[in-house]
Amino acid sequence: MSVTIAVAGKGGVGKTAISAILVDFLSGKGTVLAVDADPSTNLNEALGIDLVSTVGKTREKMTDEIKGGRLTMAASKQEILDARIHESLVETPRFDLLAMGRPEGPGCYCAANHMIRFSIDKLAKSYDYIVMDCEAGLEHISRQTTKDIDFLLAVTDPTMRGLNTAIRLQKLAGEMRTNIKVGVLLVVNRLRNGLPPEIKEAVAKSELGLFATIPEDPYISDLDIKGKPLITLPLDSPFRRAVQEILFRLKIK
Amino acid sequence: MTEGVFPVDIGPQYEGEVIRKTDMRIEFGGPNVRSKFELVAIKEPAEIVHEKVEVVGPDIAEFPEESSQPIALLVEIGGSRLEKDIEPVLERRLHLYLNYIEGVYHMNQRQDIWIRLRKDSFNKGLNSLKILGDMLIFLYSSEIDIIEKIQVTFITDGSKVEELLPRAMQVYGARDEKARGLREADVEEFYSCALCQSFAPTHICCITPERIANCGAINWFDGKAAYQLDPEGPIQAVKKGEILDAVRGEYTGANQLALEKSMGAYNKVYLHSAFAYPHTSCGCFQAICFYIPEVDAFGIVHRDFEGDTVIGAPFTTLAGDTSGGRQVEGFLGIALEYLRSPSFLKADGGWYRIVWMPQIIKELFRDACPMDLYDKIATENDVHNVEELVEFLDRVEHPWVKGEIKLPV
Ligand SMILES: Nc1ncnc2c1ncn2[C@@H]1O[C@H](COP(=O)(O)OP(=O)(O)O)[C@@H](O)[C@H]1O
Ligand code: SF4
Ligand SMILES: [Mg+2]
Repeated sequence: MSVTIAVAGKGGVGKTAISAILVDFLSGKGTVLAVDADPSTNLNEALGIDLVSTVGKTREKMTDEIKGGRLTMAASKQEILDARIHESLVETPRFDLLAMGRPEGPGCYCAANHMIRFSIDKLAKSYDYIVMDCEAGLEHISRQTTKDIDFLLAVTDPTMRGLNTAIRLQKLAGEMRTNIKVGVLLVVNRLRNGLPPEIKEAVAKSELGLFATIPEDPYISDLDIKGKPLITLPLDSPFRRAVQEILFRLKIK
Repeated sequence: MTEGVFPVDIGPQYEGEVIRKTDMRIEFGGPNVRSKFELVAIKEPAEIVHEKVEVVGPDIAEFPEESSQPIALLVEIGGSRLEKDIEPVLERRLHLYLNYIEGVYHMNQRQDIWIRLRKDSFNKGLNSLKILGDMLIFLYSSEIDIIEKIQVTFITDGSKVEELLPRAMQVYGARDEKARGLREADVEEFYSCALCQSFAPTHICCITPERIANCGAINWFDGKAAYQLDPEGPIQAVKKGEILDAVRGEYTGANQLALEKSMGAYNKVYLHSAFAYPHTSCGCFQAICFYIPEVDAFGIVHRDFEGDTVIGAPFTTLAGDTSGGRQVEGFLGIALEYLRSPSFLKADGGWYRIVWMPQIIKELFRDACPMDLYDKIATENDVHNVEELVEFLDRVEHPWVKGEIKLPV
């Protein structure tokens, strides 16, 4: 049985940074599939690797081939898709990465999404851990996998807008076909001097309890300045320690 | 030979296994290798040395760890009750059987194969293609009892694989030709897809060898494969039943399907006509055949066409008239590939009833268009409204407008 952690929230709050460090830790414990389910696709940069392709590109290519009648009739499209999705995996010694890419344009994707779900569910089954870096709308999760999620980390920075997005995630999660087993857990990132009282009050009013906080980390700004991937963050950095603490509290040790 | 003699386990529980690159001892074929294919051939029993496994070129242990190598996998089978026709079916079994083997994974087919072997299975003793061949022979023989003789050859010498590849390609080509020739009359089952019911509750696609689904993503072969993979899923097998009208494509099975899945809204469907009881259109169709009363013929427009069609409305407007899971006379949502079907709008005159289509579609489907008709179908470059269309058709002497085309009865 694999454990799936999804990381979601407003843009810029630190989802990709948290996902990258989660992948880094977990790959020391078992096999990890990192899924970049944010259309801006930058998890690969945080992990310091290059992308080959995305599921979106695979889907568009296949749609074109279908239109042009260029696919053989004898191979089922499901099977072709299984293989192509596997081909678009970036395989590294420590973890594999699958990027979902851009959402579909106008047109019909019922069958395509159905087939993609089938392929991804099948692929994901063989990993011990799956970390999904999502966007706030959870589009890809709802369309392209039916896998259960164990933990959804709703990430925010100490701003009202970020917090409201995180709170909305809980409602959204309830409407999806995907089952969230343990729950939606609020993580407030980039704290400078503890939780501002306004945010504290708003959290208290919401149904989302505060699960964890992560401090602002000067090491990260340093990496950002040097253009180095986040995964090279020093072992004793406050950000890493906070993410490790999260895993610990999720009972993933 | 029995299962117990093999170094690794065999069983359906290994089927979904993915082998990660770091865990693999070797991969044959796949995206990094050009020379690769698999082929099953039915031979005269006398030509086969039963249970022989041959490896031409280096064996697994002689290749560097984690490397990607060329491969040809040839399985020759003999049996008095085996016919050539069954080759593709037996070839697909390679996919199944290889995936049954612990630590082995197989993807794709034909000249695209991709096989990986995991390190721990290699260490357990699955260290030679000879053993893999024995396992395949065991699986084939125990699962299919009409097999009398079987031999397996692996070729890992890239230049030899290249040498044989063109012959394999010929075999694949001939099979595709045959698949394209498959007709409704040749099969007992059609397939249905209910995926679009979430927004068109009365819509059900009926997929036959001559009618690909509206969205173009599922042909009869896909339907068959999807049903086998997931018998409880949205794609189901439909008994064809009796043929009621060969010209319009009416079958008791398709009628029954429409009745059951449209919540009673429809009980009759013509698979190859846009009149009377056309197939329902969800919202997913790639193109629309629309009736143009002034010329008593059809236009075709596809989803990506920008601008107005010859009747003044753009795709989106026509899509609104066509969609929603209804049978709308004169408006038919189709997959573009349906233009290549020998039964395309058969009852209504087929290609000869088409008078307008976007230039790009005309070019893409030139191979399907009757030669004498090609220059007589107008595009957005020839005409801009029905008045101009009428004039165009008269000038080029379009055979339908001239009354030269007889509808089948
Ligand atoms: N705790 C933190 N301390 C300092 N910088 C951070 C912290 N968390 C995130 N950042 C930085 O903020 C920026 C946005 O983070 P990112 O993970 O890309 O957000 P998202 O994926 O949510 O859009 C990045 O430059 C990242 O390095
Ligand atoms: S249009 Fe495609 S996805 Fe929709 S019901 Fe038909 S086959 Fe299924
Ligand atoms: Mg991001």
